[in-house]
Amino acid sequence: MTDLLQLVFAGLAQGAVYVLVALGFVAIFSVREIVNLVQGEYAALAGLAAVSAVAAGLPLLVAAVIVVPLVMGFAVLLERLTIAPIKHMTPLTSIILTLGVSTAVKAVMLLLWGPEAKSLPNFPGSDFFLGGVSIRSQELWILGISAVVGYAVIWFYEHTVRGKSLRACAEQPVAARLVGISPRTATVVAFAIAGLVGAVAGVVGSPIYLSSWTSGLTLGLKGFVAATLGGLTSLRVAMLGGLGLGILENLVAGYLSSGYRDAVAFVVLVLVLLFKPHGLAGKPTAVRV
Amino acid sequence: MNPVLKRQLPFVALLVVLASFPLWAPHAAVDVGVYALIYGLAAIGLSLLMGLAGQVSLGHAAFLAVGAYTQAVLVTKANLPFLLAAPISVVAAMIVALLVGLPLLRLRGHFLALATLGLGIIVTVIVTESEALGATSGIFGIPSIELGGRTYDTAEEAFWLLTPVVVIGLWLAVNLVHSRTGRALSAVNDSEVAAECLGVDTFALRLRVFVLSAGYAGLAGVFYAHYLSIVNPAASHFEVSVRLLLMVVLGGLGTVWGAVTGAVGVTLLDEGLRTVIPQLIPGAKGEVSLIGFGVVLVLVIILMPGGLAQLWQRLRRRMTPNPTMPGQHEHEVSRDEQRALLDESLQVLARSDHEPPGTTILQIRGLTKRYGGVTALNDLNLDIHAGEIVALIGPNGAGKTTAFNMITGVLPPTEGSVVLHGKEVAGKRPHVAAALGATRTFQNLQTFKSTSVIGNVKVARHLRSTAGLLRGMVLADRAEERHIDAAAQAAVDAMALTPLADHPIADLAFGKQRQVEVARALALEPSLLLLDEPMAGLSGPERDSLSWLLRRVKDTGVTIVLVEHDVAAVMALADRVAVLDDGKLIALGTPAEVQNDPAVIAAYLGTDDEATKAVEAAAERTEAEVADELTQVEEGAR
Amino acid sequence: MQRRMRMISLGLALGLATTSLAACAENKGGSTTPGATGGGGGSAAAGDIKIGVVLDITGAGASLGVPERQTIEMLAEQVNAAGGINGRKVKLFVEDNQSKEDVAATATNKLINTEKVDILLGASRTGPSLAMRPIAEKAEIPMISLAANAKIVDGSKWVFKTAQNDRVVLEKMVDDMKAKNIKKVAVARDASGFGEGIPEMLAEVGKAAGIEVVKVEKFAPDATDFTSQITNLRSANPEAVLIWGIPPAAGLGQKAAKQLGVTVPIYQSHGIGNQAFLDTASESANGVLAPLGRMLVADQLKADDPQKPVVTKFIADFKAKYNANPSTFAGHAYDGFMIAVESLKKAGTDKVKLRDAIEQTSKWPGVSGVFTMTPTDHSGLTKDALVMVTVDNKAWKLAG
Repeated sequence: MTDLLQLVFAGLAQGAVYVLVALGFVAIFSVREIVNLVQGEYAALAGLAAVSAVAAGLPLLVAAVIVVPLVMGFAVLLERLTIAPIKHMTPLTSIILTLGVSTAVKAVMLLLWGPEAKSLPNFPGSDFFLGGVSIRSQELWILGISAVVGYAVIWFYEHTVRGKSLRACAEQPVAARLVGISPRTATVVAFAIAGLVGAVAGVVGSPIYLSSWTSGLTLGLKGFVAATLGGLTSLRVAMLGGLGLGILENLVAGYLSSGYRDAVAFVVLVLVLLFKPHGLAGKPTAVRV
Repeated sequence: MNPVLKRQLPFVALLVVLASFPLWAPHAAVDVGVYALIYGLAAIGLSLLMGLAGQVSLGHAAFLAVGAYTQAVLVTKANLPFLLAAPISVVAAMIVALLVGLPLLRLRGHFLALATLGLGIIVTVIVTESEALGATSGIFGIPSIELGGRTYDTAEEAFWLLTPVVVIGLWLAVNLVHSRTGRALSAVNDSEVAAECLGVDTFALRLRVFVLSAGYAGLAGVFYAHYLSIVNPAASHFEVSVRLLLMVVLGGLGTVWGAVTGAVGVTLLDEGLRTVIPQLIPGAKGEVSLIGFGVVLVLVIILMPGGLAQLWQRLRRRMTPNPTMPGQHEHEVSRDEQRALLDESLQVLARSDHEPPGTTILQIRGLTKRYGGVTALNDLNLDIHAGEIVALIGPNGAGKTTAFNMITGVLPPTEGSVVLHGKEVAGKRPHVAAALGATRTFQNLQTFKSTSVIGNVKVARHLRSTAGLLRGMVLADRAEERHIDAAAQAAVDAMALTPLADHPIADLAFGKQRQVEVARALALEPSLLLLDEPMAGLSGPERDSLSWLLRRVKDTGVTIVLVEHDVAAVMALADRVAVLDDGKLIALGTPAEVQNDPAVIAAYLGTDDEATKAVEAAAERTEAEVADELTQVEEGAR
Repeated sequence: MQRRMRMISLGLALGLATTSLAACAENKGGSTTPGATGGGGGSAAAGDIKIGVVLDITGAGASLGVPERQTIEMLAEQVNAAGGINGRKVKLFVEDNQSKEDVAATATNKLINTEKVDILLGASRTGPSLAMRPIAEKAEIPMISLAANAKIVDGSKWVFKTAQNDRVVLEKMVDDMKAKNIKKVAVARDASGFGEGIPEMLAEVGKAAGIEVVKVEKFAPDATDFTSQITNLRSANPEAVLIWGIPPAAGLGQKAAKQLGVTVPIYQSHGIGNQAFLDTASESANGVLAPLGRMLVADQLKADDPQKPVVTKFIADFKAKYNANPSTFAGHAYDGFMIAVESLKKAGTDKVKLRDAIEQTSKWPGVSGVFTMTPTDHSGLTKDALVMVTVDNKAWKLAG
């Protein structure tokens, strides 16, 4: 029983990181119908940058906080340079474009930080045992920070006028412009939010899951799977999906074989896409003829 | 020179260039060149999938890996000779694609792309975990290819062996693009619903191309296994899929040749970056050349979305002077000439198997469509008889297009049945109804934007021809293609579009595009023609022509149902009129009967009683009351 | 705007063309450039002895490949400074296999066919070494691998290795377990070639001492989370846990084991003999037990140990040049390179004679152990090459 709880708890912490990444996907897709494959790289970049900051002498928590706006700015800059110039964005174009950007970003990270994985020191706190289950303090930090940031994003999108107007852009871009919502501003805000959640995920997860030039890809993909559970538009389902995915992965690794861990996310992805392509809670949209 | 023969010249040129390469190039370059050919072969398949069928595959390396692993196992464990093992490996890759495609190809756009990505990763995990396949070390010690007593174990020999394979593979693919299957695919890419309504079984087609592209990748995998002499999970990695993608995009998505030029380009780029980057940035290691890949991918998409092919087109255009295209209103024929032409064409397109006039060919019973709480169409019952023209009219939102969509299979009904020529078509895909002889035009244009006027019309001949994927690839369909050309030309002539036949349809005015849709529908040789607001966007004379055309079409035995707002045209043209209001059928009869039906008048104009009451109430309100109301409205808006 | 786009597209096309030409130039001249796929820069003069080196410099094996490369480059300089091998200078051709088997194969082909090297060194890990083996055997050129798995040299006429065989490592480990009366061991092993077959071999080697393997788990070389594996090992109630991998996984696994409350002795493989392990595992490394080469505890060796002068000098040279302690992987590279040099001195570049000379290496004190090769033993080390080492406060200590 302790084993089960151990696996579930570890999965919960891992899932919380997926949640943040998933929110990044939803943030952008609900404004621009773009699947941003660079999402995972924001996390890797933030983690590595924070490691350098700490190595340069900054206190841990200062470093952790400073890299977030830096990565947000980077995310917005990339958007302005690569996505904004495209007049007619199709799914094919957006995928190839963001794929190219993420490849280049990965290689730059390799260049700057080398191939070895690096980790931030643990955040303040100590590990302890609760009924035979080992609980790392970092895991508690992850859960706490993810919850706070996650709910902040949800609150922004659902309860502020700003946030609600952003979602209007994806559904009816022309009408949104007519009522004064600038699609350019909306896109910039969406990417900034994606950069925010990605950076937080990278920083808060780095002590346990490490950051390297390759860690962005799998993290991004798993976050995407969680986001797909919500049809790429529901923040709440994406959150639940992320947590569920983390737990499921750990259970499969523990009870079946650790080699299948990475496959879990993709089997889930394929199953969801087959049976409920618009998400577990979504309704299909019809084509008008 | 015969155009088909002319098209073969570039292949001969390619063959010569490739065959001579090992003769003058240094050994290391030939070694690199072999990899370029191997990946290029897979890229050809991917180009068909992405460029022609418009489906992104981010996991194509999975099929390369399946082919490679199968070949490795067959040759090292079962000791099969190359010629026996290779086809088995290719078929293995195709079977995997079939099994995977059946469920996955129901998806579109982003979701399909990411599902293929997931597939690639699942394959990687499977081969990594499989002890039988060597787990992470894979299978090594695969011998070089032995054919006809000769061992192909040097780079030069491998290059020469691959050259004909690649050239033939490319040739087959290019033939496919110009064949009936290629046309249908391109149509699906432009407008899936229109292609379906013209009889194209879009799902089966997309599946076939998916499987074919996997076959190319599997064949590439076979050569990969023998040349590298080891196969391990690296063969299915995401990086390989990205490399293939880059080849296709760099070369140009619009043409299969792009796969080959892209393969050369990416290989040169890779090698070049490996040389250049360490000089620019000392200490840079290994995969830093990925920066270059990523940057190139981004720049190509932003600046040159058509890839190298686009560059090539620009150069050609600079060199050849622009042929002047006839304007859209030149060469207009006289009305009588037009009518003579029309009759001729309709003879070409006439079916011989129409039902005798008066028989019920379409039976609609209880047809209903509900969206949550809204009922768009409520219990429609209607019989359509052979050889008549029935008009469906009614105010906006009455449910006319909804009815059309359900009859043609574009929309599944919530309840009810539609029986066409004795077969149930409700809830089935549109190509089923099309195969039974029913086709339609669309309220919101659904033309195939990437091709010309005649290209659009040729798609409609899909059901009247039989050349499949294979025949198309080996050019065994030439005779049939000539028939298709003739029939399409007849339909174009019938609609007075002859001078515009080769114009890209996207250049035409809205009204002309609508006419193309009608020509397209006629080219299918329908027994039942459904036209959704065919007059919208046409000028006065164009409307007259269309009415005249429709009457002549009816004379050849075709049944016509049309949705129309041009009441005058409808009344003159139709044998019977059905009136819908608010989802219900409120009147059915001859034009005269319907015109005087009080229910119809009420639906369009409101009853006298209602009108009078409204006017009186308005007169009674004072200015002050109106002003109050206005103020309240303003405050509410703040 | 249109014009600007056209200028940029033209620029892009030109850029692509230039890099492509650069590629052609590189291939034509056969010149090698420093960096990822380069070697010493410039072409070798006639008479130079050409040594081809394929290492895992980037990717999963980078923590092995980087120090190995540093070692080989340092030693080549030393040899050349002392006049070379019989008056001929040594020319290195270093290739990065990116920790991938297929890149290793391509690199090997290139070294043999284009650069025409006299002998091959590499790779750092088992997988790529296995990929290189058939190529070396076909070309009949001696190859000295720096990797561990015995499969690399089993039955081979041309391939040698300098890292201790897994078998002798396990034999040393079993001796220690026997002394501590440990009977039940739970194993977590690297899923790649490095870890394949280890649990089975442990069971075989330990049978006589009554040792059985009660649980086996696998982890990917780049895994970061070990909760599921350790939890499963823990619940099998073992008397000792063996984690068989290289850093970073080995260090992270160690950390996870301590964190999840594993209190029984934790053994590790000979792959942890480097700073990376100490850094990743930090405090959780205390008390670990691993059979390692003598280099890590050089200062604790007895004065009459034949390896002492060799390892002491190597550590001093490496530290002076690179300002860091060498790892055991660097040691494997030392052995590979120096055995090659010794054999080249004795036999020249005739490949068959060279191979025979390597096989005649006898009682040669290296960093990883004292080597005695034979025609049937291309590994040359017994369990005496290893000592049980533990970690105490971030330092390696001879275990009691």
